[in-house]
Amino acid sequence: MNRVFFPLIALASAALMAISPWFVAKRAFGGRGVLLAPFGVVNPSNARGPWPELGWLGTMFALWAVLALVSVLVYTLTRGQKRARWLYVLGGLGLLLFGLEAYLFYQAVAEINTEALARGVSPRRLPLRRYSLSFGLYVQLFYALFLLVTARLNQPKGQRILVRYRGVVVPAVSMVLAMVVGGAIVWLLRPIPGVREPLSTYAYLVAKLDLVTYTFQLLFGPVLSLSGLFQSALIATPLIFTGLSVAFGFKAGLFNIGAPGQLIMGAIFAMLVGVYLPGPRFFVLPLAIAAAALGGAIWGAIPGWLKARFGAHEVINTIMMNYIALSVMLLLLSKNEWSFFGQKVYLPFKFPGYEPRSYEIRPEARIPMLHKMLGFDGAGPGELSLALPLALVLMLVVYYIFGRRLELGRRVVYALGAAVGGYVLGGFLPGIPATMSPDLASVRLNGAFVIALFAVAFYNFYMWRTKYGYELRAVGLAPKAAEYAGVKISSKLVLTMAIAGAFAGLAATHYVLGGGIDEYRLKQSIPYNVGFDGIAVALMGQNTPIGVTLAAFLFGVLLTGGLQLNLQLGISRELVLVLESLIVLFIAAGGFLPRYFTDPLLAAEALREEEA
Amino acid sequence: MDWISSAFWVALIAGALRQTTPLLFTALGGMFNERAGIVNIALEGIINFGALAAAVTVQQLEAPYLAQDPNVRIWWIPWAGVLAAILAGTLTAWIHAVVSIRYRADQIVSGTAINMLSFGLPSIVLIFLYQNATASKEVVHRVQSIGQYLSSVPGARDFFSTPVGRVLDQSPLVYLAFILVPVAYFALFKTPWGLRLRSVGEHPEAADSLGINVFLMRYHGVLLSGVLGGLAGAYLSIDQINQFIRLMAAGRGFIALAALIFGKWHPFGILGATLLFGFAEAFRIQVEGAGVLPSPILQAFPYVLTMLVLAGFIGRARPPAAIGKPYEK
Repeated sequence: MNRVFFPLIALASAALMAISPWFVAKRAFGGRGVLLAPFGVVNPSNARGPWPELGWLGTMFALWAVLALVSVLVYTLTRGQKRARWLYVLGGLGLLLFGLEAYLFYQAVAEINTEALARGVSPRRLPLRRYSLSFGLYVQLFYALFLLVTARLNQPKGQRILVRYRGVVVPAVSMVLAMVVGGAIVWLLRPIPGVREPLSTYAYLVAKLDLVTYTFQLLFGPVLSLSGLFQSALIATPLIFTGLSVAFGFKAGLFNIGAPGQLIMGAIFAMLVGVYLPGPRFFVLPLAIAAAALGGAIWGAIPGWLKARFGAHEVINTIMMNYIALSVMLLLLSKNEWSFFGQKVYLPFKFPGYEPRSYEIRPEARIPMLHKMLGFDGAGPGELSLALPLALVLMLVVYYIFGRRLELGRRVVYALGAAVGGYVLGGFLPGIPATMSPDLASVRLNGAFVIALFAVAFYNFYMWRTKYGYELRAVGLAPKAAEYAGVKISSKLVLTMAIAGAFAGLAATHYVLGGGIDEYRLKQSIPYNVGFDGIAVALMGQNTPIGVTLAAFLFGVLLTGGLQLNLQLGISRELVLVLESLIVLFIAAGGFLPRYFTDPLLAAEALREEEA
Repeated sequence: MDWISSAFWVALIAGALRQTTPLLFTALGGMFNERAGIVNIALEGIINFGALAAAVTVQQLEAPYLAQDPNVRIWWIPWAGVLAAILAGTLTAWIHAVVSIRYRADQIVSGTAINMLSFGLPSIVLIFLYQNATASKEVVHRVQSIGQYLSSVPGARDFFSTPVGRVLDQSPLVYLAFILVPVAYFALFKTPWGLRLRSVGEHPEAADSLGINVFLMRYHGVLLSGVLGGLAGAYLSIDQINQFIRLMAAGRGFIALAALIFGKWHPFGILGATLLFGFAEAFRIQVEGAGVLPSPILQAFPYVLTMLVLAGFIGRARPPAAIGKPYEK
């Protein structure tokens, strides 16, 4: 931040406010909308009224321009504490303005709707059903927040928070940059929906910005509804596993691009146990889950061993293992009969029919749906069982409150014991009557989500609470020093890759045992590419357990929103993949931020300079 | 065994040359950047973007001509496609270069990001142009084989129908790939430029102290890999077949990296290594229908071979000393 950037940002914000839609009064399916911009209403698809005529938009824009100008003046004329105080005031003013505008807009919309209701229009056919804030208001919100952040940074020792929270700053900046580039792609490649006749330049700019805004509104849309959140959690489940897999490798200085292959092998192993091993549930289900982990672990350990023994780089080897795993799956699932040098060999794994898929997993080996685990049986009224929630609460209480003084091993054992006790106790208690909506019941979120949360806990525990994790991180930070201190590097490599592979393999529990997509089978169409998404998840989450979980959830939201994007704007879901890869690229480049955001040594130095 | 016949061998050798070509282009490109000390996992993405640019450019250029006369053939259109592929490859490589040289990013992460981009972005472009997420429209103007280019020369038609002629009846790009091997050797080992390029990959501090611009030389290396990777992409999309298909590179970028290591970062070694992979692939295609081995096993063969090569079961080599390390002044 300096004297060039600050005025530039002010200018850019003001310019964007001028040419962007501030509100969308009316939105039709497919993205057509009536856009309220500061210099007029833009209506590319000639939709018919009524919509609120907001006469105050021009005045508000003038106010914002003044605010931006004053902030630039403040920034150039004052410094230090004084500048901070002024910027706090201006930022606060901005937030107030933002709130006022939003309030006025919703008020105006409600007025039109109540008036229509009074005329006897049925509530399902109100004139304004889908309306929202739009880009102009987002810019205002961001500008106000930007002023507040700048104010904070200008306080004495203010820069320290940036450096201290660089683990959040770098992914966040990268995300914003990726969204800018993604928005540019949409701007270039998609026409304005519903446009009838050539637009004036101003209207064109407003409509294009609205298109970009609407794209991201759709992408982030799932956070607004409960079923959207559940759907996002569903998609996030395998991402948590593969994200942990990649993060685990990163911590030891290894780059595991092999998560897709490890996932496939986990799926094959899980399928073999789940389909062919008879027995009671308490025996088969854990074994099937363990088999998934084992399959992934074997597939991960091989490149680890090749690196330890022969120094072969794990990156290319894991990529090759992906292709080989795919071939193994094809061999098992695409035909029942193969010929080896003229010799016919029969494989029993493919289910008869056109589609390459396995037989169904036995009912005993299936992971139940989450709503079943909570005591519901499909949509409709039921009782929310207290077993799972109580188990979770008791476990956390024992671990974090009663376990503080205990030695770690006991702490974990007691916490798990409390979980089991809570589960049993909750099972005996009467449930809470509640109703499951069909939306929620149709989401195939299953027990694999719980396994994923346990995997996150295990990652945290192993990496930061055990000797093995300590050694592993030491190898990642300084292999030579770790070796000198007595860590056996080669076996560490193999073990690390095996555990990373096991994480990826466990993702298969979601697809194969949990029926995460539609069937309880291994299908050739299993979306193994989530293994690559794991790279973005791990980087975005900065290899921390909480970060990985949040990042997986973020991408779950984006991928869920991508479905709407495809339906409404005809933009391929691949846009999410593009965003993901851009995020990876920008995080690799440290968000194009100064070096002390990425380099711990420089960060320490920057902190020390601040102290002085 | 009727499949071991003259026709079989002709098809095998000709197929091997065709399969070698994209690997050879890519591996030579990879050689330049690895010699300059930059790892380029992004080769896969460079091939994909090159292939996309070639197919789309040719399709867009030929469309107005074909609308007037469906039988028209214009000689320069495929070459414009090749040029576009080179530009696209170079641009992709430039992103990798900026991020990993200027911003000192982890080169493998940066390369992976570009590969992921090349899995996603083409679909958006294809939907925009052709309302189809997986493949471009088929183009009419492919790069043709020299047999077709020389068909008006007297005697040429007879020559190119003999077994030797059928092996030699390849696209000019195939010839270019093989000619580039001695050219690369000369450039890398017999010119001052090549010496500088190698020195920044071995010991950038020493090179810098002698007044060599380390960053510039590294840009040269990476951008050259973009040029050559783009050529490989053009070869795949408008020469071998006549359209771009999503994920067209199909691991060739990675196999080229393995060939590069197997070939000990030396042009002639790379020639040998890529020929090995090319023959393996051509052999697979030839015996696929014969029921010798299940096709998934045959498909996995080049990948297993790559892993064996990397493990050093078949020869070991020493990489450039400063490879993968960002240079800081």
